[in-house]
Amino acid sequence: MSAIRSWPVRRNKRAGGESHQGLVQSADWKRPSVRWGLGGTHAALLVLLVIGGLGPILWLAKAAITPTQDTLSNPMALFPHGTALSNISDAWNQVDIGLYIWNTVVIAFGSWLCQIVVATTGAFALSVLKPKWGRVITALLLTTLFVPSVVLLVPLYLEVVHPPLINHSFINSYWAIWLPAGASAFNVVIMKRFFDNLPREIFEAARIDGAGPFRLFVSIVLPMSKPILGVISIFAVLASWKDFLWPLLVLSDPSKQPVSVRLPTIFGQTELGVFLAAMLIACLVPIVGFLIFQRSFLRGTGLSGALKG
Amino acid sequence: MTFKRKTRSFVRTNLTFAAIAAVAMAMPVGLASAATAKAAKSHVVHISVVSLIPGSTQAAFNQFDNQVAEFEAANPGISVKAVQYQWLPATFAAKLSSGTLPTVFTVPFTDGRSLGNNGQLANLTKYAKALPYYKEFNPSVIAEGIDSKKQVIAIPTAAYAQALSYNRQLFSQAGLNPNKPPTTWAQVESDAQQIAQKTGKTGYAEMGASDNTAGWILTTLTDALGGRMETGIGSAAKATFDNSAAVQALNLLHTMRWTDNSMGSNFGLSWGTMNQAFAAGQIGMFVSGSDVYTNMVQADNINPAIYGLAPIPTAKSKTAGVLGGGTLAAVSPKSTPAQIAAAMKWINFYYMQPLINRKQAIRNAKTLIKDKQPVGVPELPVFNAKIYAQDQKWIKPYINVPESQFAPFNNGIFSENVIPEPESATQSIYGDLDSVVQAVFSSSSADPGSLLSAANSTGQSSIASSGA
Amino acid sequence: MSTLDEMTAGAEPIEPAFTPQEQRRRSAPRRSRRSPLAWVQGGGLARLAFLLPLLLVFAAFSWYPIVRLVVMSFQQTNEVITTWVGFQNFKEVWNDPLFPIAVRNTLEFAGLALLFGYPIPLIAAVLMSEVRKRRGLYAALAYLPVVIPPVVAVLLWKTFYDGGATGVFNTILGWFGIPPQQWIQSTSQAMPSLVLESTWANAGGTIIIYLAALTGVNPELYEAASVDGAGLWKKIFHVTLPQMRTVLLVTMILQIIGTAQVFLEPYLFTSGGPNNATMTVLLLIYDYAFGNSLGAAYGEAAALSLMLVAFLALFSLLYLRATRAWSDE
Repeated sequence: MSAIRSWPVRRNKRAGGESHQGLVQSADWKRPSVRWGLGGTHAALLVLLVIGGLGPILWLAKAAITPTQDTLSNPMALFPHGTALSNISDAWNQVDIGLYIWNTVVIAFGSWLCQIVVATTGAFALSVLKPKWGRVITALLLTTLFVPSVVLLVPLYLEVVHPPLINHSFINSYWAIWLPAGASAFNVVIMKRFFDNLPREIFEAARIDGAGPFRLFVSIVLPMSKPILGVISIFAVLASWKDFLWPLLVLSDPSKQPVSVRLPTIFGQTELGVFLAAMLIACLVPIVGFLIFQRSFLRGTGLSGALKG
Repeated sequence: MTFKRKTRSFVRTNLTFAAIAAVAMAMPVGLASAATAKAAKSHVVHISVVSLIPGSTQAAFNQFDNQVAEFEAANPGISVKAVQYQWLPATFAAKLSSGTLPTVFTVPFTDGRSLGNNGQLANLTKYAKALPYYKEFNPSVIAEGIDSKKQVIAIPTAAYAQALSYNRQLFSQAGLNPNKPPTTWAQVESDAQQIAQKTGKTGYAEMGASDNTAGWILTTLTDALGGRMETGIGSAAKATFDNSAAVQALNLLHTMRWTDNSMGSNFGLSWGTMNQAFAAGQIGMFVSGSDVYTNMVQADNINPAIYGLAPIPTAKSKTAGVLGGGTLAAVSPKSTPAQIAAAMKWINFYYMQPLINRKQAIRNAKTLIKDKQPVGVPELPVFNAKIYAQDQKWIKPYINVPESQFAPFNNGIFSENVIPEPESATQSIYGDLDSVVQAVFSSSSADPGSLLSAANSTGQSSIASSGA
Repeated sequence: MSTLDEMTAGAEPIEPAFTPQEQRRRSAPRRSRRSPLAWVQGGGLARLAFLLPLLLVFAAFSWYPIVRLVVMSFQQTNEVITTWVGFQNFKEVWNDPLFPIAVRNTLEFAGLALLFGYPIPLIAAVLMSEVRKRRGLYAALAYLPVVIPPVVAVLLWKTFYDGGATGVFNTILGWFGIPPQQWIQSTSQAMPSLVLESTWANAGGTIIIYLAALTGVNPELYEAASVDGAGLWKKIFHVTLPQMRTVLLVTMILQIIGTAQVFLEPYLFTSGGPNNATMTVLLLIYDYAFGNSLGAAYGEAAALSLMLVAFLALFSLLYLRATRAWSDE
């Protein structure tokens, strides 16, 4: 939890020492009225955040181990007739939720890799190698920022079903998800912007030392790009984890589907207690991931406003 | 429209070892030898077949896998892959256009002919006509699998009539006689009110989801009251939503929903969620196919003691009747001739044999009992009356559903006039009617007449754009 | 932006040896005379190799589908025969009675999302920025719903919205003597219910963006305001909000762009019902393309997609202008 506490503390640094010079000045803070008023507001805010942010998840955790009949007849009671841990084992064995989580991980990993490869190599070429048609390509990239991928649903779908030049449908193949994920202009643009700001002397020095473009890319540019790679990675994994419509269309084989597609399919056909247990298990991976990488998550999101565009 | 999907075929289709020989015998000689020749050349023919609805129990899936194993043992040249499947209007089109449907899949009666006319199903004519029992099909049922060019493009595997499922336990608790389900809609209304008042549960529930189910049940009620939602066939069809029977049906729903307050609190139920809620004991009565009990056993662990089945009450009118429906097995048009031959063997083995072959009907019934699956859930005859009666006799000793609880339906249904579903743009018509039902459920000031006439023009354009 | 500076910390932008114009002028004549060998030796192959993944992926999955979308919107196809139909697809969409309903519902969703989802995160962020202890805990709690997969969130809330007296929300309302509500089954409550869930699921992200922006407000401005005798409210309205105006504008535009594409909530909660109360533009596109079990109206889906693109492009332009202003600050 140390990550929680240390975020975001940059202002303290700037303000120097103990004094807090935000909206409410340290001098004001010493006044009891301000202190109690604000303290009370903060306590209320904390209660609201616990109810709003944590409440639904705690309810899910409770309902996941409660007999279905109790959840249906008295959803807010705490185990009126004991627990039903069998829900969890049923969700694992019968719903086979583990398989769908694994599928989700595979999809997220491939999408992430594809995005990173396209964004780093493309941005490196455009920013550092500066090819002749670089400006045209950049302009074409920027144009696609105006077209959200979701409106390309129909042509993309038909393309995946009957790809031009290749006589092989990519339906039910993870490539149908991984490759289109790579076509993110947003990634390339922020990557390029980052590379544009890297000091050119380093590149020149490397060139004089005889480093070719590949050496330059692998040994110098990539290691310097760790922070931006982290941000893009988080966005890539989150977006892939959240995607629903596209996997729904291209993965009709149930054994290949991610949790996001599988859960709605069995909603209403699986006993509610078991279904809620499956939902809880599906939440655990992202929640644990969030607790581990909390700092990067929050920083990444905070920066996203600044970075987008 | 069949929301019964694949699962239904479980009713009588579990074959075991001895069935193998019978299958081989039942296959027409020419067909069998042609397929063998093909198989020998290309070694193994791979086909995929639809299995059960997602969310079915492990026991049900195991049983299906056993049948696949038997089939493969009997047909060494064929390799079968089972795929979970549920026919849903919102996802079927994508599977169809992407060619990801299995080699053998099922569609409701509503869609078979149109898909065939569009060339989206394999032509099964020569295989079907070679079946020794082809001439025994109930003519109105096999017609659902024949397209406008007189080609057989699908094999009917099951037919059902719409029926009133009711909870006998709630009937008793409300002081009603569980052996005397309502026979008029006025009784449905008063019984529902009594159940709601005495037990606090939902008296009468009706599907209201935006997946064509709401429109399907409204059409059922309209037909039962003597109206029709559509007249004519093909592109000459006319939407006739604003008929007096439909208005009457909606007014009845409006009264139960808003005046009697006997319809509970959930108005967004779909086929599966309705079965789930009923099996959980929350619903007094609802309208669905006569065979929904099978799904309640397979997916919802229903307590058999609560289940009762009655015919839909019909008005005293010549045009009043019971909406029917059914399931067709079809073959993907992308299949090679060898795959089509193998697919037909599977259809014959899995869907047809238990209906027409004594040994296998009995074998099937026995294994269903062993796996605690229901035997004897009421359906309509796929074959002619003689074969149907025979089949009923074969499985009689094995029926494990509470027969007396199905008696009201079985005693009443054969005197009823079974009405086929609207012929043109059926699913779209149902979809257009969804919102009418939802409007009545969600607003007490809804006016059925004007809702229906507004939906009628939408329905007419659905017919026009279906190009049927 | 201070945050962006931090991202690129240690990477001070420096002037390139030549301005791009100069570089072009110098290299252009040389290039035209180069042999393939010289091109390879000059790094042409390496340039191409690095560009190749980008070019292939974008050509296949972005540029080509965009062109095809435009082409398809003027065609009708049954996947065997394709015919040119001019503007007929657009006309059919325009005359579809569901079209105005979908547009109105999408606007309603966007409007309600602004109403719920705009002030709440701002107030929360301003309050949280004044928390002195365990601010990270507040941020983590606020962000937790964002981490839940959206499908899980929607299906969980669908359970909460059960219209019976024993539904989760109705039970809670019952504690306060409020009668059971119909939530997503009522034509009037369905859309607000969808927006409520969506706000819950997304507010955390906005709060974090605001918090980051609030840390960027120069504390000297507050100090100066205090010296001038400004109270808390005055400082909020005269320092905090004006300082945040660009980030507020950007999140608003982003939210409008996002809500115009709303699909998940209406699809999973209500399938567009009851009585089309939650039919949105994207759901209509989906229905045209995939909703009819007997065949697809790809042309109409493409036409409506293009109309949506035109609308979104307008906001994207505004967005680009806003972010440019922001970066220039």
